[in-house]
Amino acid sequence: MAKEEKAEKAQFKRFFPAKKKVCRFCQMDVREIDYKNVDILRRYVPEKGKLSPRRTTGTCSFHQRRLAQAVKRARIMALLPFVAD
Amino acid sequence: MRHYETGVIIAPNLSDEEIDQQIKQMAEVIASMKGNLHREERWGKRKLAYPIKKFSDGYYVFLHYESEANVPAELERRFRQSDQILRFLTVKKETGQRRGLKKGKKEAEEAPQLGESAVEAAEEKEKSRDEEKTKVKESGAEFKEREKDRDKDKGKEVL
Repeated sequence: MAKEEKAEKAQFKRFFPAKKKVCRFCQMDVREIDYKNVDILRRYVPEKGKLSPRRTTGTCSFHQRRLAQAVKRARIMALLPFVAD
Repeated sequence: MRHYETGVIIAPNLSDEEIDQQIKQMAEVIASMKGNLHREERWGKRKLAYPIKKFSDGYYVFLHYESEANVPAELERRFRQSDQILRFLTVKKETGQRRGLKKGKKEAEEAPQLGESAVEAAEEKEKSRDEEKTKVKESGAEFKEREKDRDKDKGKEVL
């Protein structure tokens, strides 16, 4: 079973190669991320209110650090939830 | 002197006048300690992401000011004593000059070098391409000549 699945995955990758993700903050040339920009932060904290990892969003490490800082500040100011259910 | 931004959540059960008074007090503290209040941002009543002190709403105010470090310390000391302040957060504002300058310098230094090397590389490529083309042409000519020879030979054979 496992082998078949692996082969399937490999085939899938061959026919649909992963699209290269680009950091959206770099594209917009943003230097600092403000914790008051809740609409932007919301995009990076889906459902449970957890910060989504770099591998899913494609954010670069520079902006991921800023983003994490901003989300944490927004949580303190009750703009974002610590836990959402 | 540094730029600070202090965000405050004021209890929603206060009247508008009381809220105004609170904000005035903050401004006075800043002014009395030789700070410059640049901007005052009022978001008004807004739903909290989670309840604080059993309130589900809060009145958001953000103050942007420039001062010495003792001003935010004094403000926060007052906030802690007050029951009407639900939350506060002071953030040091990056002036952005340092980082911007560094980046600008790097770009200025790297850009021309990159540009030159890129141009050179492009020129070399073009040269090599031209050479290849001439080679192809020559080989093509040779090929045609050979074909002619062959045709001649064939003709001879037929004859």
